[in-house]
Amino acid sequence: MIELEIGQEVEMEFGGKAKVLSVIGSGGQGIVYLVRFNGQKWALKWYDINKMSKPAAFRKNLQNNINDGPPSNKFLWPKYLTKEAEDGTFGYIMELKPEGFDSFVDILNTYKLEIDPLTGRGVKRPVKFNTLSAMVTCVINIVNAFRQLHRAGKSYQDLNDGGFFINVNTGAVLVCDCDNIAPDGSNFGIGGKPGYMAPEVVRGIAQPNVQTDKYSLAVVLFKLLFRGDPMEGEKVVRDVCLTESSELKHYGQNAVFVYDPDDDSNRPVRGIHDNIIKFWRIYPDYIKDAFIRSFTTGVSDPTKRIIENEWQKLFIRLRSEIIQCGCGRTNFSSMFIHQNEKTFKCPKCGMEFVTIGFSNRDYRTPLYLGCKFYTCEIIPESDDFTAVAGELVENKLKQGVLGIKNCSDRQWKAKMPDGKFYDIAPGKGFPVWQGLEIDFGEVKAQI
Amino acid sequence: MSNERVTEPEVNKNVNPSDDFDTKETVSTAPESDDSILDFDDDPLSATSVSKKSLVIFFLIDTSGSMKGKKMGELNTVMEELIPEIRRVGEADTEVKVAVLTFSTEVRWMYSNPIPIEDFEWARLRASGVTSMGAAFKELNHRMSRNSFLNSPSLSFAPVIFLMTDGYPSDDYKEGLRELQTNSWYKFGLKAALGIGQEANDNILAEFTGSKDTVVHAYSGGQLAQMIKIIAVTSSQIGSKSMTLSDDTGHEIGEEDVFAAKQKLLGQQIQELVSTQTDGDDVPFDTGW
Repeated sequence: MIELEIGQEVEMEFGGKAKVLSVIGSGGQGIVYLVRFNGQKWALKWYDINKMSKPAAFRKNLQNNINDGPPSNKFLWPKYLTKEAEDGTFGYIMELKPEGFDSFVDILNTYKLEIDPLTGRGVKRPVKFNTLSAMVTCVINIVNAFRQLHRAGKSYQDLNDGGFFINVNTGAVLVCDCDNIAPDGSNFGIGGKPGYMAPEVVRGIAQPNVQTDKYSLAVVLFKLLFRGDPMEGEKVVRDVCLTESSELKHYGQNAVFVYDPDDDSNRPVRGIHDNIIKFWRIYPDYIKDAFIRSFTTGVSDPTKRIIENEWQKLFIRLRSEIIQCGCGRTNFSSMFIHQNEKTFKCPKCGMEFVTIGFSNRDYRTPLYLGCKFYTCEIIPESDDFTAVAGELVENKLKQGVLGIKNCSDRQWKAKMPDGKFYDIAPGKGFPVWQGLEIDFGEVKAQI
Repeated sequence: MSNERVTEPEVNKNVNPSDDFDTKETVSTAPESDDSILDFDDDPLSATSVSKKSLVIFFLIDTSGSMKGKKMGELNTVMEELIPEIRRVGEADTEVKVAVLTFSTEVRWMYSNPIPIEDFEWARLRASGVTSMGAAFKELNHRMSRNSFLNSPSLSFAPVIFLMTDGYPSDDYKEGLRELQTNSWYKFGLKAALGIGQEANDNILAEFTGSKDTVVHAYSGGQLAQMIKIIAVTSSQIGSKSMTLSDDTGHEIGEEDVFAAKQKLLGQQIQELVSTQTDGDDVPFDTGW
């Protein structure tokens, strides 16, 4: 029983029946249906067990994952198994993708094809991040989700662009297709999606594990930011036709990063890889260096791959270096003029931005109206990169006076223009001035 | 900085001779040399779609007189329904295009170029004349070239070539096939064939696909619809995706392990799917006249 009929009822493991309402989509391992179960709508993934090498072990692993529960609320996790059909076929149900989320595939395509059900014609709806901050927050969310998963001792196995739903307004992320997740070291027959697979998996000398996840994660991040394939450049395009053997060569035996500093044989080709060429000029060096490391030394030596916590720190820094200028220009500080050690200048309108130095960072953070910093940036032990701790605002009573508002639940101390430190309770603020010093507790900051 | 160098797409001049894909000059714009901050659109959010690999699906359809009536009606209907199903297979990696070559007394393309699947509209076909299959093979060979239908500047997957016929060729198909077999795109392509009714000769079709696994036969309207869908969807799914190379081989994979791996996989999957189809109560094409 490979396919289910609309209206068919599938028995669930612990009683009750899920009624098939429609087809949502199909993948390599099976078909996903919209079903009704216990008065609620769910997604049912129904496997084609002929395509599985070890269906019984796969089912057991799924059962274990359901019992363990998701590592965090960023996962669309399997909820209940179905009973096995007579021929051994089975599936599981999970919650539906909430409203407001787009697939990563649509983001990479820059549009979603919406089909008119009557004519069958497709209409392209643009899909892109609304703000730069939302995009970088999305990256942090992806990295953080995999950090949580790996901390739970599990690996995702077939990390690829089909594995995420993303809210382009907020950067919120939902990891889907969680059914191949397995304890690190186990594998139930999934290899992964080429282009995302670690070279050692492509070559057949390793099975997916936490280390290969890290390679795939770097590919996902690269694709999201640079909008291209990190290993597809001149060397690959020269093959014209990507046959099975050229794929083995370019993604396995001889994978060369397009911006490998020591090997320029595979540079991006203008007219084909324009996104990568453009974005490589925009991103600051510490981001580019991390990708260079992932795709050069990290290709042959899995232990050299960037760990999630390191990615998370890099992207939290990147988010703090976004400057939103009054003239409408929004970009990373690397694309603003570094006027002097403490000031950035907009190359378009000339507006200047002072920076603030935090005691826990070796770089300075630009200040602009509306800029925010987050709990994890002022409390060393915190991992909370979503809760706003402080924001640069205009004083409501004194127009034109800018200050920092304490949005956290802790009391800070700030040095005022009279040279004295004052307590700043949650909800209160203080002006930004030349000699400003802030004491957040363990972390201090200074203009 | 050396790692800022950008390659111009002169790349196709030095094609690996063993691959033997014919080449085509591509145009390029001059590289930007000025590195000042505002000399280019530097908005980190304004991206174009990721560069995609291109996949052309060729349908070779017999429109000779014997296809008239139920066969053609069924074929037209299923092809119309099929297009939206194939749309889904490309995802973010592959741009899928469709080209339809019909052969009867004459050989004719439905459109003068392969059309992106998102824009493709099926033009209903009519049947008349004889079965010039050899001429169709020659025409396909002619068009499967970097200078013609396979002119994507970026990477391509090997094409999917799907032949549907209900009769014995009325011309020298062997000569046409010999020409086609010299074409690298054909060699690496995913080939499948559907014989319709009693007259179609599965041996000829296997000569075309290279193996019996990728030849199926439909004896009724219901089967015809099922088989077209199975072959077209399966072959475009396999064709539009990179090969999943990972296997439990226990040793490092070499070129010999992956040679023609997609074609083998296609054969396996088609056979599996065909074996699960039920015959139903359809009236065979050849009875009831």
